[in-house]
Amino acid sequence: MGLFSKLSTALLAGATAVTMFAGGASAGEFDGYTLRVKLIGGAQYEPLYTRIPEWEAATGAKVEILSRKNHFELDREIKQDIASGSINWCVGSNHTSFAPQYGSLYVDLNVILPDDVIGSISNNVNKASTVDGRLVQLARHSDVSNLYYIKSLYEDEKNQADFKAEYGYDLAPPETWDQVKDQAIFFADPPNFYGTQYVGKDEGISGRFYEMLVAEGGSFFGSDGKVAFNSEEGVRALQWFVDLYEAKAVPAGVPNYLWDETGLGFASGTVALSLDWGGWASFFNSADSKIQGDVGLIRAPKGSSGKRTGWSGSHSFSITEACDNKQAAASFITFLTNFDSQMVEARTGLLPTRPDALEAIIEESKAKGDDWLVHVFETFGTSMAEDAFAVPPTHLWIPISNELFPQLQAAIVGEKTAQQALDDAAAAANQLIEDES
Amino acid sequence: MSVLTNIKRKMFSEQATPYVLLLPAVIMILIVVLFPLIFSLYTSFTGYKLTRPDTLFKIVGFRNYVRIFSDWDFWVAFFRTVGFLAVVINLEFLLGLGIALLINKVTWGQRTMRTIMMFPMMFSPILVGFQFKFIFNDNVGILNNALQALGITDAAIPWLVDGWLAMGAIAFAEIWMSTSIFAILLLAGLFAMPKDPLEAAQVDGCNAWQTFRHITLPFLMPFAYIAMTIRSLDVARAYDVVDTMTGGGPAGRTELLWTLIARTGYDSANMGMANAMAYVSIILSIAFTYYFFSKLVAARRYMGGAQ
Repeated sequence: MGLFSKLSTALLAGATAVTMFAGGASAGEFDGYTLRVKLIGGAQYEPLYTRIPEWEAATGAKVEILSRKNHFELDREIKQDIASGSINWCVGSNHTSFAPQYGSLYVDLNVILPDDVIGSISNNVNKASTVDGRLVQLARHSDVSNLYYIKSLYEDEKNQADFKAEYGYDLAPPETWDQVKDQAIFFADPPNFYGTQYVGKDEGISGRFYEMLVAEGGSFFGSDGKVAFNSEEGVRALQWFVDLYEAKAVPAGVPNYLWDETGLGFASGTVALSLDWGGWASFFNSADSKIQGDVGLIRAPKGSSGKRTGWSGSHSFSITEACDNKQAAASFITFLTNFDSQMVEARTGLLPTRPDALEAIIEESKAKGDDWLVHVFETFGTSMAEDAFAVPPTHLWIPISNELFPQLQAAIVGEKTAQQALDDAAAAANQLIEDES
Repeated sequence: MSVLTNIKRKMFSEQATPYVLLLPAVIMILIVVLFPLIFSLYTSFTGYKLTRPDTLFKIVGFRNYVRIFSDWDFWVAFFRTVGFLAVVINLEFLLGLGIALLINKVTWGQRTMRTIMMFPMMFSPILVGFQFKFIFNDNVGILNNALQALGITDAAIPWLVDGWLAMGAIAFAEIWMSTSIFAILLLAGLFAMPKDPLEAAQVDGCNAWQTFRHITLPFLMPFAYIAMTIRSLDVARAYDVVDTMTGGGPAGRTELLWTLIARTGYDSANMGMANAMAYVSIILSIAFTYYFFSKLVAARRYMGGAQ
């Protein structure tokens, strides 16, 4: 009995090890099967894919990567696949902002994944990954933005005295967006130096406006199902962007900026404050950055309602309804979101969606004496837990964003007033909603 | 049996042979060209959404077209595209002509020069877009930094924000990428040009300008119109350049038909409306193609001594 018990324990331990390694699959379980996948590509996403051969070795399956594109291109390709009815692949990269568009393309993971796998991901993230009550994606990492700043500007005694004299309160990293505006205008010295910057086009500016709207106490949709962003709160939110542009506190090119421009701009040392995601944190403090050793980070400031901005999204994996081997697909995405996989991504600065991986990366950074990464993960972890909110869960988010962002730009560059721009955007957005019905 | 034999006999009769031989090509054209054209024309009368295949059968009549004709933004993009095509193609022609004439004069290393000249064509339009996007970046871009370092300006010129500057920057990128197409075709024309008329002109005492204006240029014009026809259709390749550099913005200031249609059809998944826009914009392609072909025919007639 004792020997049997030991043997059973050993076998169980061995099986558990294989299971943990393969993320839910038994050795050789999918021998000879080829799993067809479409994944997001790009420098920040690729390190995770170096683990795919491990899953192949553990399960006997092969992974055929049909696409490896940025998400906007991948989104187009997926839409074309839906239109042509050629869903001949199993796993696709997804994102919380895009997921509601795809209708019934993807399975409800609640049905095919064990509870412990789903439960290993943060509740907030799973909630944002749910569309119409269906968990359509398993998140690999999250993005939420916090405020980076150049520390020496705040330590400078002359800056402190001048700021106090001009604005009547002490110069310190800002707690509210109004303070960000004051400080950005104070620090700006165009064209050599700017107070802050923002992403100014596509879904980027729509998302930034959306989070500012929420922080101002407004809402994107009204109770009647129509858009409500052209409210007083909406005008206040948009006016913040307009005022900074008019004051030349942001680079003149911001209406054309996307994530690369804001990241590289801050690292160039020509911008005092920058709201951005954690993916840049290591780069800002690296030898490639001109502000190495001089970067501070605080939680995103509050709007006039007292709520912090926290537009958030998660990159994720989904399984198609048309998949011919959902178990293999489930095993694959479980493996790519397990503890070890998330640690691979976390070491590059990406924010894990598993609380245990977040804790572990903080401990690992402490052990290495990397105070900066500890601070980064603690700040982003808090922000993810307390401030983060996703875009409205509607398939119209992207189409409405496409109507909204040119109008936001029109207000920013002074072609329209904030109210006019939002009214025009609301009219176009409401037409989209009416067309749907 | 006799009916089948009859059909076979007719099919393989001498008169039917050309048609039978053409049949595969006709079928291929029907599949590759006509069917998609008819399908997209049909979808332009529907509320077809890419992500919802069931909407393919949701007929909305002329609603998409009615909206387009009353959509100011669409017509602004339409006429901006006309202007962009006219400016870019003419500048590419002038620059291509200049390059072709210069390379034609080179007596040593001409092949190397021809190869170097084609380098910009070898880049993907997306790469060209990224390259110029960073050159024209107002804060960290090379151009503004160079202008500021040289003391030409102390301002950050918003190259990709101001409407005229942004269109100029896009046109510059497009011209950089595609001028060599004109240069190659015009150079081919120069190589094919007979020497006798040029020698006769010299004997008659024509100066260089007169020789160019009355002999070289008329001879090159058929080549130029062929290049223009190709480019007027091919310039839609500039979509990637525009999309990367400005995305049609800010505030629609650089919106061209291609960015508008792509955003409507793919990003917003509203393919019914996008196809309606595409059908209206086909007018543009037909107009440009007709214009250049009529010019080509006229130039050929001129070369044939009809005038």
